[in-house]
Amino acid sequence: MKILINVTVNQKKYELAVEPNMTLADMIREELKLTGTKKGCGLGECGACTVLLDGKPVSSCLVLAIEADNRDVVTIEGVETEKGLHPIQQAFVEKGAIQCGFCTPGMVLSAKALLDENPHPDEQDIRKAISGNLCRCTGYQKIVEAVQSVSARK
Amino acid sequence: MLIPRFNYHRPSTIKEACEIKAEFKNKAMFLAGGTDIIVNLKRGVISPERLISLNGIEELRLHSVDGRNGQTRIASCGTVSGLIREKFMLPYSALITGMESLGSPLIRNMATIGGNLATARPAADISPSLIAYNAKVVLTSASGKREVLMDDFFLGPGKTALNDDEILSEIVLDNPSSYAGSAYIKLGTRKALEISLVNVAAFLTLEKPDGPITGARIVMGAVGPVPLRARSAESILVGEKPGAALFAEAGKAAASKDSSPIDDFRGSAEYRRDMVKILTERALKKAVNDIR
Repeated sequence: MKILINVTVNQKKYELAVEPNMTLADMIREELKLTGTKKGCGLGECGACTVLLDGKPVSSCLVLAIEADNRDVVTIEGVETEKGLHPIQQAFVEKGAIQCGFCTPGMVLSAKALLDENPHPDEQDIRKAISGNLCRCTGYQKIVEAVQSVSARK
Repeated sequence: MLIPRFNYHRPSTIKEACEIKAEFKNKAMFLAGGTDIIVNLKRGVISPERLISLNGIEELRLHSVDGRNGQTRIASCGTVSGLIREKFMLPYSALITGMESLGSPLIRNMATIGGNLATARPAADISPSLIAYNAKVVLTSASGKREVLMDDFFLGPGKTALNDDEILSEIVLDNPSSYAGSAYIKLGTRKALEISLVNVAAFLTLEKPDGPITGARIVMGAVGPVPLRARSAESILVGEKPGAALFAEAGKAAASKDSSPIDDFRGSAEYRRDMVKILTERALKKAVNDIR
């Protein structure tokens, strides 16, 4: 039986009827067609499905959509501003921190959550903040540099 | 990966949650952070008819410091990342270290302290420290509550003292006395998203700054079906002055007499036993340095 929920996604309010066994990741991708959120392992180990739930990064494959009732969700589509790419996204482009791109939405969101709380993190803080997001291409160095460059600019 | 169908309940009070659980008993499971339950649902390890969400219950998130009785009462649905930042957690450094090494930031933002205990995994990062601090858990049912020592809470992998109609509502920690210190060391091959190969928590109390040791509690994880007390190591320590030779002796006793590790794909029993010795020794040293 579907249950009605009210959820804010990228500052837009939605009223959705979801099955209790639907994950937040599937709700975002299948119901809202926001496919920037990636699905990797489905078991909370890779971080590709990272979204911000009430400002905190979580694995959306381990959250039930109904549990997001009355909560605030930000996906990668909500990071860009009317002025264009978010500084973190811009830094990823400039530093070449993207290769295949599958981990990128999660990386950007984990980095955003970190910088929102601590505008000047050191390298260890950054590595710790993205430790739940796996990247199989770049070896993390450029990702860390990209986040550092945003922190330096602030 | 699909999650099997289930009926969903979202009570707003502990009482209501207990009543639902009492009605459906083992056909229903509580859902807190979900970082274990959702994985197990997807893997087909569990298939409860009903899930009772605890995330609408405000009272399961209200921690309190009871100054009169010298106790810190942690509400079971406090998230791991939230608790790490709480000031009242500062005296419990072993517990903080354990919570910091649990899963990844993404997991810690969802996982709850009570959920970590109720899933009762032998390699869990939170339970050894809580046992070392001699913490208690409050188990609440529709008809009342009871307190159970953490020492008696775990019965086997995935098995706890929780009855079918009970909810783990609080964790109660005594405020440490003067000259007490603690430490937790986790051994794994990675820094994040790692399940302990071996972990050791130690809690030491001294009579005065330079000793002797009046209380010692050492708990080893991932070397038995439940976290184990290293009782022979503890008895070697009590009454003695802290020191490297004493800690080495305690480490040896913990490895040879107190632990019962098994071989699995993470490591051999022999290796685990060796590591119990070393980690116990190191945890004791670290606990002495933590004395405040």
